[in-house]
Amino acid sequence: MSKEENVEVSEVYLFDNPENAFVEAELWDAITEKNLADWEADWIPHLFKLLKSLKQKGVVRKLWPQSRHWHWSDKVKDIEGKLSNQCFSIVCDSSTQAMLITDLARRSQLDVQKHSHLVYVDFIEVAPWNRKELIGHSPKYSGAGSILIRAAIELSKQEGFRGRLGLHSLPQANDFYENKVGMTDLGLDKNYQNLRYFEMTPEQADEFVMKGEDS
Amino acid sequence: MAKKTMTLNLTDAEMRVLDTLSEQKQMSKTLLLRQALRLYQRVEERLEAGGKLFIEDESTKEKSEIMML
Repeated sequence: MSKEENVEVSEVYLFDNPENAFVEAELWDAITEKNLADWEADWIPHLFKLLKSLKQKGVVRKLWPQSRHWHWSDKVKDIEGKLSNQCFSIVCDSSTQAMLITDLARRSQLDVQKHSHLVYVDFIEVAPWNRKELIGHSPKYSGAGSILIRAAIELSKQEGFRGRLGLHSLPQANDFYENKVGMTDLGLDKNYQNLRYFEMTPEQADEFVMKGEDS
Repeated sequence: MAKKTMTLNLTDAEMRVLDTLSEQKQMSKTLLLRQALRLYQRVEERLEAGGKLFIEDESTKEKSEIMML
C-alpha cells in the first residue's frame, strides 16, 4: 500500500545495527493506513512472540513492555479530524519503525513557563524489533525515538511554542526522557495514572537538537 | 502540509486584542488564530459529548462553570 497524498515526507537517518551503518529513512507527518497495517501485521505478531519468550524465561508481567496494550488504530480513529492532534511516523525499508501522536492543546506546568502552550507527546512507540530492552540484544534500528522527539520539538517551534514539550512517561522510559532527552522531571502525577510528568524548556529543546544523531 | 490564505476582517477592538495576545504569547497572529481554532474545536467536541467547561481557582480549588453559547 502506498502512502496517502498530502503526507509531507522528510529524509532522516536511522542506525542499522546489524549493518553498522546509517541508513536513509522517511519521516512522515501523519500516521496513515499503511502505518496501521504495518502495526497490525508486523508489530503485533512480533510483540506477541517477544511476550511469549519473556513468559518462557519467567520474566514477571510488570517487567513486560508497558505499551503492549496500545491500540494504534483506535488511537488514530479517536483523533480523526481533530486540529489539535498532529501525528508522525518513521518508515524505513518499507516498514513502519515508530509512531507518534501529539496534542497541541495542552499548557505547561513548569514554573518557568507555566501556562505557556506546548506540544504534548501523547503516545510514542517504536517497533518491537527496535527495542533493546525488549529483545535483549542490539535492535535492528536505533534512533527512531529521538527522531520523533526532534519532530515534536520542530512542530513546537513551527507553532510558536518555542520547542516546549510535555509528556507523561511510562516507568520503563523515565530514564530515556530524563537522561537522554534531558527533560525536567516534575514528579508523579496523581491525576494521570501516577505516571511521571516531564517537560522540556526551549533551552533544553535546543540542547537536545544540538546533540544530533548520537542522541 | 499545504495551507490556504484567507482575508480576515476585524474591528479595531478585535485587532487590539489580537495584537495584545500575540505579544503576550510571543506568537504571530496567524499562529495565535490557528491555536484558537484548535482550542475552540476541542471545547466544542467536549461540550457536544456532554462535558462541562470549568475554570478552577488554583488556591481555593473553587470551580466556576464557563457558559458556552
